[in-house]
Order: sequence, then structure tokens, then C-alpha cells
Amino acid sequence: MFFHIVLERNMQLHPRHFGRNLRENLVSKLMKDVEGTCSGQHGFVVAITGIENIGKGMIRDGTGFVSFPIKYQCVVFRPFKGEILEAVVTMVNKMGFFAEAGPVQIFVSNHLIPDDMEFQTGDMPNYTTSDGSVKIQKDSEVRLKIIGTRVDATEIFCIGTIKDDFLGVINDPTTA
Amino acid sequence: MSEKGGKGFSLPKPSLKSTPPSSKDGKDDSSTKSKKGRRVQFDSEGSREPKSNFSSKFYRPAAASGKADWGKGGKGDTVANAKKKEPQPLELKIEQELPKSVKCMMDCEAADILQGIQEQMVMLSKDPTIKIPVSFDKGLQYANSTSRYTHPQSGRHVLETLKKYGVKDGEICVIANVCPETTDEVFALVPSLKAKRSTLSQPLKDVLSELTRFKRAT
Repeated sequence: MFFHIVLERNMQLHPRHFGRNLRENLVSKLMKDVEGTCSGQHGFVVAITGIENIGKGMIRDGTGFVSFPIKYQCVVFRPFKGEILEAVVTMVNKMGFFAEAGPVQIFVSNHLIPDDMEFQTGDMPNYTTSDGSVKIQKDSEVRLKIIGTRVDATEIFCIGTIKDDFLGVINDPTTA
Repeated sequence: MSEKGGKGFSLPKPSLKSTPPSSKDGKDDSSTKSKKGRRVQFDSEGSREPKSNFSSKFYRPAAASGKADWGKGGKGDTVANAKKKEPQPLELKIEQELPKSVKCMMDCEAADILQGIQEQMVMLSKDPTIKIPVSFDKGLQYANSTSRYTHPQSGRHVLETLKKYGVKDGEICVIANVCPETTDEVFALVPSLKAKRSTLSQPLKDVLSELTRFKRAT
């Protein structure tokens, strides 16, 4: 889910960036450092929407760098346990399938796929119901529920299920 | 206790709750019972993906054959229920994990904002040192694909009326993103609302019919 949040960070700036463009340099450094990163508490920082406040700079002893506390608003994307998401399938194998929702990777184990769906190998591996009416393959859209999350240094990885009511395939790419 | 567990399946951690109460019954078959009773609860934090297969593998078969396996049927079950037999439906707990100043956004609102930023980024990308991060592109693509409403503000306005019935912001956003057609779907997907089903059913029905007016034609 997307969130709008205010975060704070101390940015260090080298004296060569001082001058009339100090603020612009600070903001562009902030964007380079923060956008695209991921943390356990906030999730992925997708984009910075605005700067709330830039505090007074403090000169660091010994180095000459100046540290500015910056408060900024940003859009973050963080998955939650219990959340319902629509994801696009990226890979299918006999252990389950991988799907992607925004910057987040989700794995759905075959134990969390309804029992009436069987894995079919082939050029396009997929899970299909016994009557062939429902198929999960690469590029299918599925609605799933997140049941667990794990945060890495650079990404968030989730476990999902489609074994509950109202979950499963939304859109089959072959019929589209 | 570890001897009874035989192969050390009964882990000492109290949170794991993996030793069934009837393990005290089994003399020889305690190892098989504890094998079947072994269930790792992975909704606690941390990476437990390999074990998640086990928990779900034994999840339903254990429920089905639980009574037979666990010997003392009713008694065993009630004790097991106290310890966790049927896992509670996973509920959304955003407010507990994030500070209050955080504002949940619907996918359509996020799509609007990110679209605006992308237009600015086109100008910024002329600077070779600035790289547009991958997560931005993916986030924008995702928000656009899941954005269902032609007028996010109206959609938000309609859903805000649910707040007076005690529906939280996070739950409102899930309802907006999922775009349900019936109230049954809402209560199935957002189990935390089930407790208020009696008061919420009618207002929810009204809200859902209002929302269909703002749905984007796909």
C-alpha cells in the first residue's frame, strides 16, 4: 500500500557545494541518496514529494562537512501482513509462483494455492484447475493476500496466499 | 520435554506452540505425533519462508485429521484452541506499526502524485548524474494499473463516510484498492470489519454502489 509520510534525515554537504545553489544541491543530494531505498519500517521510498524544512547546518569538527537536518515528505510503498494486493505473475515453478506488485516481490507457495490447481510443466509452466477453466501463468494478474514479509537491505520480499475467498486470478493474459 | 519430543521437535520457545497437548499421551508414537504436530508459526517477524511450507502443509491436513490424531478429541482440541489450533484470520494492523502522522493513500491518489512527479523528472533527467530509480518506475506502473477510479477525490470522499462507523484509514484504503462488488467480499477480505458487520452492512452497500459510478471503464 502507498503511504504519504514525513521523514527526517541528516544530509552532509561538502563545502564545494555551498553558494547560492546550496538548497538545490542539498535537495538533489537528498533525492539521490533516498529515492529508491528501502527500510523495514517505511518500505520503499518511491518518490520525494516536497521538502518541509531544512534546519541550520552544523559544521563537523575536523572534516569541514556541514550536516543539515532535513524534513521531507515522500511517497512510500510498504506491504503489510493481511493486505490484499493485485500482483502480476513473473515466474511459475513447481514450488509455487513469483509475482510482483510495484517494487515488491511476492512468493506464493504451492501449499497456499488451492488444491484443485495442479502444476503443468512445459514451455509456459502454469497452474491449472482440473477442468482447465482457470490458469495461472507468467503475466497473469492475481489477487493475493500477504501473510508474511521480510526486509532485505535493498528490497522487501513477501509471502502470499490465494487460498482464501475472493482471491486468485483476475486476468488471464491468453484471453486478453 | 526435549526427550519426549524425541528428535527435538518440541522447541523450547513458548511462541512457537509446536507441542500438541496430547504429546503426553504418545509413548512410542510421540515422535510421529510431534512430527505432525510440528507447526512453525511464521506470522512472527523474520524470515521463515522455508518453514512456511511446513506450516501450511500440516495446516489443513492437521485440521482435518486433527481430531483423529490428537487422541483425546474434544479435550485435546479445546486445549489446543487455547494454545492456537485454528489460526485467526490475518488482520491488517497498519495503525499499530506506523506512526500516526502517516497517511494511507489509495492507489489512484498515488498514481496522480507519481504522474506529476514523473513530468518533473523528465526535466531532471537531463542531468546525467540523476538516475530515476527503478522502484519509482515500478511504483508508478503498479499505481496506474491498479488505479480504478476516474475521480480519486470523489472516491475518497465516499469512503470517508465509513469512518464514522469506526472503519480505519488502512481498511478504507484496502477497500478502495480492491474495488469489491459485494459486502461479502469486503468482509471476507478485511476480516477486522467482521465484528462490526451488523452496523456496517447497509452503509457499506451504499458506499459500494456509489463507488461503481466512479469506476474507470476497463
